[in-house]
Amino acid sequence: MARIEKFANPTRFLRLQEKVQPWLAAITALLFAVGLYYALAKAPADYQQGETVRIMFIHVPAAWGATMVYAFMALSSAIAVIFRHPLADLSAKAAAPIGAVFTFLALVTGALWGKPMWGTYWVWDARLTSFFVLFLLYLGYIAVWQAIDDYHRAAKIAAIVALVGAVNVPIIKFSVEWWNSLHQPSIMSSSGSSVHSSILIPLLIMVAAYSFLFLTLHLLAIRSELRKRKIHQLQLAQAQKV
Amino acid sequence: MAMTRKKQRTTMIVGGLVVLGIAVAIIATALKDTIVFFYTPTEVAEKSISPTTRFRLGGLVEKGSVKRGEGTTVSFTVTDNAQTINVQYTGTLPDLFREGQGVVTEGKLDRAGTFIADSVLAKHDENYMPKEVADSLKKQGYWKHTEDEKKQPES
Amino acid sequence: MKMLWALLKRDLVLSWRQGGGVGTAFGFFLTVIVLLPLGIGPDAGVLQRIAPGGLWIALLLSVLLSADQIYSTDYEDGSLELMTFGAVPLEVVSAIKSLAHWLTSGLPLAIAAPLLGFLLNLDTSLVFPLMGAMVLGSVGLSFLAGLGAAVTVGLRRGGLLVSLLVLPLYVPVLIFGISAGGAGTAGPDITAASFAILFAITLVILVVAPFGSGAALRAYMR
Repeated sequence: MARIEKFANPTRFLRLQEKVQPWLAAITALLFAVGLYYALAKAPADYQQGETVRIMFIHVPAAWGATMVYAFMALSSAIAVIFRHPLADLSAKAAAPIGAVFTFLALVTGALWGKPMWGTYWVWDARLTSFFVLFLLYLGYIAVWQAIDDYHRAAKIAAIVALVGAVNVPIIKFSVEWWNSLHQPSIMSSSGSSVHSSILIPLLIMVAAYSFLFLTLHLLAIRSELRKRKIHQLQLAQAQKV
Repeated sequence: MAMTRKKQRTTMIVGGLVVLGIAVAIIATALKDTIVFFYTPTEVAEKSISPTTRFRLGGLVEKGSVKRGEGTTVSFTVTDNAQTINVQYTGTLPDLFREGQGVVTEGKLDRAGTFIADSVLAKHDENYMPKEVADSLKKQGYWKHTEDEKKQPES
Repeated sequence: MKMLWALLKRDLVLSWRQGGGVGTAFGFFLTVIVLLPLGIGPDAGVLQRIAPGGLWIALLLSVLLSADQIYSTDYEDGSLELMTFGAVPLEVVSAIKSLAHWLTSGLPLAIAAPLLGFLLNLDTSLVFPLMGAMVLGSVGLSFLAGLGAAVTVGLRRGGLLVSLLVLPLYVPVLIFGISAGGAGTAGPDITAASFAILFAITLVILVVAPFGSGAALRAYMR
């Protein structure tokens, strides 16, 4: 815990972030370059889906990312509520827009895949509905931060909203197992993966690329948020002088 | 009401957790039957659905059962390897519609027990592989539908 | 116990004397019901098929829109601040206030809605199953509305935000409420199972909403 405390100190965080930023950005770019090349050019066409399977390389990591980012956001909120850590609020706040974009991307690519494969852009089955609700939860969370001026109050209210919404995460995960759904079940299970390695490996590279993209953007967003608050404080101090 | 604040809090939290536990237990017992996107032929047979009810029927398109009629009319048999139901449909079929693959159709049963569908969606399973791999798997006799195995014990 | 009863009575009497609560929610409910067939068209068969869904949506919108009254007057005149220092924990206070909201708007609407189903050509055999499902489901709707009201109590323009926050949480109640009312399902055992799940969802809301509301109110009081 002591070590986490050290990094979670805002000044130390800023120094550390500055150091790792270029590396993270470079790794992200590299992973996307390799991943997209394999996904779009090298990976074989699927035996049933044909070339349309390539949408999966964008869709699946985005959907996983969207769910994981929400779980991360809820976890940060819980840490903020329980341990009152100064960076936990910021971490949750910074994660939300990234998660919302991942969710949107997963919804759009899913619809584009659904039309040729299922025969429809959209159906209201359990997986699609719960995923759409996830998008709404992200929007609500972001709206709370925008609606409340006082930072500490906004942080508390947003944390409550994030935690209540967290019930949706297991529903998304298990929706394809609990209910008969049009959406295919998860490709990962305890007995291994149902995806052939020539498709699975590019997929995993894309997952890594998304993860590093999140990490890069997330740390950057926390940084700009810290800076923004600093500027705000300075402006207030200046106003008080006059 | 002589409880201290701390005791009050503990009582509330314990009480809340107990109620949540009950809720989870109810959901676990009742969930299976409820929100189904589609019914399997076995479920349709068991539940004796009346001809006026619209519902979705899901299963595999039986091998060799697809017959093209006049225009875009198609008839085929949906099976879950236990029961079968004949389906009639007029309209365009999705790309993934194949014999032996999953399908979800929406419509009503007619008096004779034929399912008159007005929409057909293809259901994809969680298997992804290149065509050559699928072909060689078939040749070696390792071919299986994980979907069938998964759905069977439940229904 | 006495204190809890006093709190509940206070809220009930207040909502009765202040007026505007049930009446306005009811008027809003009727308006939505009237707009629906005008938007859909007069086809009786189509209306009959969408009637349960239309009634549910009108119900949850009306419950939601009457929610801001749960805390707003108490927040403005400072009595909510007094309650933070009182002997009754804020979680319990918010549970009682949500209960009062259910008794004054959720419950009457849930009873009236299926009876007004004739405006949408509702299948008469569905009236009582629908009423049962709505009475049970509206408990959860009121408590979630209470949570939304608590989360936005100090905001000037909280109304739109409440809708964005609460409506997604209404989704499970709506889905299982519809099938628990016997509409759109294929058999009686499915209706029964849906009813059980609706009950379980209500229990979850009854626990989660007061804790969330209590925490939110405390954040605004500080």
